[in-house]
Amino acid sequence: MIEFLETSIVDSLGNFAKDAGVVQFFTDGDGYKALIMICLACFLLYLAIKKQYEPLLLLPIAFGMLLTNLPGAGMFHSEFFTGGHVNWGEFTAGNFGLLDVLYLGVKLGIYPCLIFIGVGAMTDFGPLIANPKSFLLGAAAQLGIFATFIGAFFLGFELNECGSIGIIGGADGPTSIFLTAKLAPELLGPIAIAAYSYMALVPVIQPPIMRALTTKKERMIKMSQLRQVSKKEKIIFPIVLAVVISLLLPSAAPLVGCLMLGNLMKECGVVDRLSKTVQNELMNIVVIFLGISVGATAVADNFLNEKTIFILVLGILAFSLGSAGGVLLAKFMNLFAKEGKKINPLIGSAGVSAVPMAARVSQVEGQKACPSNFLLMHAMGPNVAGVVGSAVAAGVLLAFLG
Amino acid sequence: MDLLITINCADMPYMFAVAGMGFLTVFFVLVLMIGIMKGMGYFFTRQRKVKSVAPTGEVEYEEHAISDNEVVAAIIVALKMYKSDLHDRESEMLTINRITRAYSPWNSKIHGLTQLPKHK
Repeated sequence: MIEFLETSIVDSLGNFAKDAGVVQFFTDGDGYKALIMICLACFLLYLAIKKQYEPLLLLPIAFGMLLTNLPGAGMFHSEFFTGGHVNWGEFTAGNFGLLDVLYLGVKLGIYPCLIFIGVGAMTDFGPLIANPKSFLLGAAAQLGIFATFIGAFFLGFELNECGSIGIIGGADGPTSIFLTAKLAPELLGPIAIAAYSYMALVPVIQPPIMRALTTKKERMIKMSQLRQVSKKEKIIFPIVLAVVISLLLPSAAPLVGCLMLGNLMKECGVVDRLSKTVQNELMNIVVIFLGISVGATAVADNFLNEKTIFILVLGILAFSLGSAGGVLLAKFMNLFAKEGKKINPLIGSAGVSAVPMAARVSQVEGQKACPSNFLLMHAMGPNVAGVVGSAVAAGVLLAFLG
Repeated sequence: MDLLITINCADMPYMFAVAGMGFLTVFFVLVLMIGIMKGMGYFFTRQRKVKSVAPTGEVEYEEHAISDNEVVAAIIVALKMYKSDLHDRESEMLTINRITRAYSPWNSKIHGLTQLPKHK
């Protein structure tokens, strides 16, 4: 009897030890990779907490990455989502983890759209309505997306992967996640991390490009005051934009529609409670879910390969080309503009989304050249046009490659 | 480095077509939006101008956007100078007359919930 008890206790302890994550680091062939990923997650946590690089998103992403790479925890199963679709059979069998369930919101394209409602409710489209030419700068800044799309192809990526990598140039996190979840879900981790990291680095990446492409005289251009925009215009704008873009490009309808719904809630003034909810509570809840589940996709096998390095390099290229595209088009437009109607080329770089960071960079650079120059409101036009532009670009890529 | 050597050349024409068409489509959609927004802007500014002319023929003054920051600065300085002339110059010395703390049961230590031990 005692012998039996001893054997069963030893067996139980043995099984317990085998199941322990610490042991799996060393017994599993790829255990060391999980250890590297955990270290990487800790580094991202450091960047989020200590350096405050987009902490609202980087912190949940890093923690999701940490959780998914803990051996034996079984919180996320990438095999449930192989083949580009959800394997519902695995879910009904009941073997799913918490992160599998949360990831459904990304996979089904729910979270990015909900975030866009919040973004719409927080955005003032007034500067864009007052100066519709800003749409051109927003379009030019999408150059980075399509140039990187070509670059990724020549590095050997599949076409669908090229589209997902290119969209980093839109500098729009939810759009990148929305498109990547549809086109190349296996790249979601690196692409989301690249997109959000570069968005946090806008004040570092953009100024040298802006200064290199402009002369001091151009940077000193003062722009005339924007016209007043009536409440009626602000209410009609989101409705018209949602209808026109959705009719022309149905694949962009979820993103543009949600963005405009949020904006209409803000501008109409009759649903203040809803507007406040989508700006705060809903936005915060979705950001938590989105961050954790995107981080969960960064499992060692998908992350620790040469593709991730290429994505990081191509991402910064996309971002830089997008910024340059906006600045160059603004310079080109000045060739035909009358004196007094000229555009300060610095606002062109705000055409990449990254609201409102990119507009702030334009303001700071403008004031460095001329302290009495106020470009913030002028830069907000291309900035919000960039949000619309990148959503349209995502719709185009989805229509061609989806 | 397999990635560098496995370019699918068959997809290349399609890739260029997607990139070119995609960029042009984005431009086309946003240029179309410029047209619509300009039309809307023209309609609303015109409507506002029509409204600003009263039926009697008298012109109502509408709020004009001031176009020059220097003009704004000049107005502010003029107002400041005007207002500063309106009253006498004061001594610019602040004197604290009352230094005792007003008693209230709300800040009384005797009525506090936590009685701290008294060291003797």
